[in-house]
Amino acid sequence: MGNKALNNFLICGLIILIVSFFPLVSNNFSIRFGTDILMFAVMASAWNIIGGYTGYASFGNVVFFGIGAYITAILMEKAGLHFGIAYLAAGGAAALFAVLIGLPVLRLRGHYFAIATLGVAEAMKALVQNLDITEGNAGIYLPMLDLPVRHQYYFFFYMMLATLVLTLLVTYLLLNAKLGYSFIAVREDEDAANSVGINTTLSKTFAFALSGFFTGLAGSIYAYQQAFIQPGPAFTVQTTVQMIVMAVFGGMGKLFGPLLGALCIEMISETLSNYFLVAHTLFFGTVVILAIVFTPKGMIDLITQHKFGIAYLLQNIREHRI
Amino acid sequence: MAILEGKNIIKRFAGLIAVNNVDFHINPNEILGLIGPNGAGKTTLVNVIAGVYAPSQGQIQFKGQTISGEKPYRIGRLGISRTFQVVKPFPGMTVKENAAVGAMFGAGGKKTSAKEAIKKAEEVLAFVGLADQINKHADQLNVPSRKRLEMAKALAMEPDLVLFDEVMAGLNFSEIDQAVELIRKIRENGVTILIIEHVMRAIKNVCDRIFVLHHGEKIADGPVAEVLNDEDVIKAYLGRRYKELTH
Amino acid sequence: MLLQIVTNGILKGGLYALMAIGMSLIWGVMDIINIAHGSFIMLGAFTTYWLFAFFGVDPFISLIFSMSILFIFGYGVQKYLINYVIRANAFITLILAFGIEIFINNLALVSWTADVRKVEVSYGASNFSFGDMITIPTVRLLAFVLVIVISLVFFYLLNRTNLGRSIRATSQDLDAARLAGVDVARTYAVTFGLGVGAAGAAGTLWSILFPISPMMGGILTLKSFVVVIIGGLGSMLGPIIGGLALGVTEALGTNWFGSTYENLISFTILVLVLILRPKGILGGAT
Repeated sequence: MGNKALNNFLICGLIILIVSFFPLVSNNFSIRFGTDILMFAVMASAWNIIGGYTGYASFGNVVFFGIGAYITAILMEKAGLHFGIAYLAAGGAAALFAVLIGLPVLRLRGHYFAIATLGVAEAMKALVQNLDITEGNAGIYLPMLDLPVRHQYYFFFYMMLATLVLTLLVTYLLLNAKLGYSFIAVREDEDAANSVGINTTLSKTFAFALSGFFTGLAGSIYAYQQAFIQPGPAFTVQTTVQMIVMAVFGGMGKLFGPLLGALCIEMISETLSNYFLVAHTLFFGTVVILAIVFTPKGMIDLITQHKFGIAYLLQNIREHRI
Repeated sequence: MAILEGKNIIKRFAGLIAVNNVDFHINPNEILGLIGPNGAGKTTLVNVIAGVYAPSQGQIQFKGQTISGEKPYRIGRLGISRTFQVVKPFPGMTVKENAAVGAMFGAGGKKTSAKEAIKKAEEVLAFVGLADQINKHADQLNVPSRKRLEMAKALAMEPDLVLFDEVMAGLNFSEIDQAVELIRKIRENGVTILIIEHVMRAIKNVCDRIFVLHHGEKIADGPVAEVLNDEDVIKAYLGRRYKELTH
Repeated sequence: MLLQIVTNGILKGGLYALMAIGMSLIWGVMDIINIAHGSFIMLGAFTTYWLFAFFGVDPFISLIFSMSILFIFGYGVQKYLINYVIRANAFITLILAFGIEIFINNLALVSWTADVRKVEVSYGASNFSFGDMITIPTVRLLAFVLVIVISLVFFYLLNRTNLGRSIRATSQDLDAARLAGVDVARTYAVTFGLGVGAAGAAGTLWSILFPISPMMGGILTLKSFVVVIIGGLGSMLGPIIGGLALGVTEALGTNWFGSTYENLISFTILVLVLILRPKGILGGAT
């Protein structure tokens, strides 16, 4: 491994270490807030695999979140299984679903793929609302974690942190492997990718499955943490909106973009709700609008290009206006 | 034995017959030119060979194996590479990465890791003369360089047969001569070449044999001098003036 | 009984069709998927509600107002906001639409509270009967007639006027239209305005038949997607066919399986159509 890569790894390790200390010095509310940021970072990073790197913008990734949550709930509550097993099964089930639904749906491109995935998520929500095993709209209660309250907060924080590290590590390794190159080739020019020897169907499906796997893991932890899940919150399109906005805001197609995006968006959202008790979502919508008009390439691009001036913002508009 | 052989190839698109009962073959290490007026079916034929379309009728054999109906990526891995008439680089990747992708997934890809592919890419890019631009993004290149990159991607795949679709279009005379040199070097490395071209200067100087399509049908197939003097070819494509100008 | 169910489906389908016309126009001409579509429907509904509550304006009369107001609003949004990002990749416009949806929904929530409201007209309970077989609430019938009228107006606008010609030219080839002298910025703004105006009309009619609230838009946007996909892009007839198809299928489906299956039916149809025949029933040019 080159020197630069080694350096980067050490820096990352240091950051993870520092972040690990965070719960020890914070109150429960802050730990929960941190866990939420990590959860969104996992989902946004997972979305980034299929949306950012492979160029297939899924509008239904919440379906993997919901599947992960429900598989966990059903296995723990009805089959009495341990969380560890449920967690892995959740990821696996989500990945499997991604492969099954991906085979027909990944043949569609652009807008049609987006809407198909959206339809899948909504259909799944409606299905779960009507099935017996998922208790319909009544929802499922999960067994509580048998630890002192404070330690429960620790547990979920570290589980989510570990999941995020796993997601980013796997993404990083892929980017340097043939599979990662195939994702990007598919995004850049799918026909050219085919003629250069890439089995694009396999590539896309793999990307979608990975995306589903990590999102499912996040859903699993969420279900255990909430100790209760319902179809509405588990499959709401709002979650998809959030993960996409975060990935794009931070920088899609960049490794740390979604994490940065999750951090920024959650911070902004929290700050706004502290200042504006009543209308904070309103200002949040305004922030999203302004951000996308002026910095469509995301925060990472803003930072790496070292362009902090008005000129950069105006340049984006000049390039993109009618 | 011919390295590529097509028998009774017909390609229809909902009532329009683009390729009409064409027989063709290419011998190993040969440079075969494919010429004809626009709309004659040249690119369609290449698309059929490359697997973009399955032939409506007929069979294509490559190195003794039937490839008609196979998917493009499979044909690429078997040893046939192609370029696109309107070049298709991967814009968001660097020149080096573009070529590396060819090395990773082409015929030579099975035994090549990502790291090795990047090394191979550098070699191929030096071979086509793009060594000084390997770290540029593909969308920053000018037209002749993009054509070179398109060829590099195809060559990085380590093909036995390469299909060049109008790689000379838009080049000036000296650039054409350089490209012709490059094609000769490629053949010297043991690769068989099919080249679709309108640039007669290149066809005359580099091809062993010429194959002419007109309205989807083969109207001539033989040595360069013979074909370029063929009455049917002159009537269909070259024009009387060409014969006068070049004699 | 079956006839009644199918009739109900057709009536609701007409409403779906009107919702989808606006979305189809915007998508077909500008390749924009208007995620905020439901929010505009909601605004149309509330325009009617407030005119009714404060000034006693009959909701059918208020159609003129809601369509005009929403047209102007849509024109503004396109001209002063969306036009600034439209040449970036389609994704950026999508996120912008998300932002607009969040903004509008929450502005409504803050201004009008989350209370559910209803436009109760005096003739709301009266019915038309066709023998013993079909009973149709008068308001539903009126709404359906208006859907037809508005659709015809749109058809005329798009196919028989110069405005319509410039819209169609712009959708087919932006640069060619520019060269031919079309003011594309303004054409886009007018197109978006028309689409939003149609949404406003749909909102008005919806408010007469169903309860409304600031958050009602989300599911309506999704339903509009389904209709547009089923019917196919590229013609005015697409959303109409799609809307009727969805309305009838939902009516039959919920009758057989139960009312809680309505959404499952709609979205399963969406996914199936996309997988089997993405171009939709009328499968025109994209």
